[in-house]
Amino acid sequence: MKRDLISIADLGRPDLLRYLEQAAHVEALPAASKSRLLTGRVLAVLFFEPSTRTRLSFEAAMARLGGSVLGFAEATTASVVKGESLRDTARTVERYADILAIRHPREGAARVVAEATGIPIVNAGDGTNQHPSQTLLDLYTLKKYFGTLDGLKIALAGDLKYSRTVHSLVQALALFDAVEFTLVSPPMLRLPEYLRESGPAARAKFAETEVLDDAVERCNVVYMTRVQKERFPDLLEYEKVKDAYCIDARLLQHAAPGLKIMHPLPRVNEIHADVDQTPHAGYFDQVANGVIMRQAIMLDLLGVTP
Amino acid sequence: MTEKTLLIPKIESGIVIDHIPAGLGLKVLEIIHSYPEMSAVVTSVGLNYSSSKIAKKDMIKLQTQALPPRLMQHLAMAAPGVSVKRVERYRVVEKLVITVPETIVGTARCRNPGCITNHERDVVTRFSCVDPGAKRFRCSFCEGIFPIHELEVIVPSLV
Repeated sequence: MKRDLISIADLGRPDLLRYLEQAAHVEALPAASKSRLLTGRVLAVLFFEPSTRTRLSFEAAMARLGGSVLGFAEATTASVVKGESLRDTARTVERYADILAIRHPREGAARVVAEATGIPIVNAGDGTNQHPSQTLLDLYTLKKYFGTLDGLKIALAGDLKYSRTVHSLVQALALFDAVEFTLVSPPMLRLPEYLRESGPAARAKFAETEVLDDAVERCNVVYMTRVQKERFPDLLEYEKVKDAYCIDARLLQHAAPGLKIMHPLPRVNEIHADVDQTPHAGYFDQVANGVIMRQAIMLDLLGVTP
Repeated sequence: MTEKTLLIPKIESGIVIDHIPAGLGLKVLEIIHSYPEMSAVVTSVGLNYSSSKIAKKDMIKLQTQALPPRLMQHLAMAAPGVSVKRVERYRVVEKLVITVPETIVGTARCRNPGCITNHERDVVTRFSCVDPGAKRFRCSFCEGIFPIHELEVIVPSLV
């Protein structure tokens, strides 16, 4: 039976730990032995929404494992503009590829594709819902920084309403012990209630605030998010909150020792460039870990043991 | 002869949908009549009866032998808790209380406008109950959680 990676809600703690171990193993392999692991395999990337990191990260991951990549980076070049259904597009592409990564602006799109096809599907972002490969690379980055995911004090700041990255990350970290969440957002961008009320998150410890400064002093991690203009039905509402939070080196003068600032990128104004040179900056480590984790994910779903 | 019999006559044989919370009777009737095979069935409707189980109830009597299976799921969505009785020779020979379903498949529309099921043709919607007490359901696609009364019923005539 084929396996997919669609939602963190489908996974348990053992699954997450397996991916973390697999990533550590992949990272330790010599480049020469890695480069033959997926020779002859084809990854299809169907990106119906703009992306820099996620798409290139999947492509780099496959290329470094010896496989090849096909696909499209925007829907305007695909047959969907002629009215083709998403499922027909996916059923066509599965004849060309061994594994498929999809990004789509509609929530649930990856699930629809997974149920319509016979090859492994990776959800590379579906609307405001989930971004599980980002979450796995975030967990891997956190594990490398702190050695464990248990007991973390993490602040999630910015757009918690529309950020699929945050939604996936909350569900994943809630599977670990004694994780404390501090939710920092304007009232209109609060984390949806259903994410706090269902699954393991229902038992997790949450605090809510609109002030970022305290979180910088108390937490191990501040996970910043961009306020996503493209998700707002009303652009006037976006203008009110677009620069709600900004971290700079001055704010970090009072940071807890060992504090890491993370961000799924792209950033706009939420993290000032003067943070980049501080030991707190973690976002480019996330980018590097993204390739490793996506290699681990593809190897796992394709049933290849490195 | 009881007052109830005077208000809505007994049926010799057929189906009685009872204990419909008052106010939902016409909604249930609309759902029933959305099924082409039910549109010609002789129907009696009673509204706002006193009830020992619920404060006020509506009731629908249908001169038919069975309800389409999908209609039962619609009833479970629209008015969980109603009872469906089969009557033969003026006697109730079978009674079924419609409870909150564990899953709702193909009979409800997701209320999230961004859910792929509201955009991709011919996707069969699927919801699973995450909180029977509060009657809350999770969309299997967009993963949003909604109270059952917020899910729009997909009626056959509109499909």
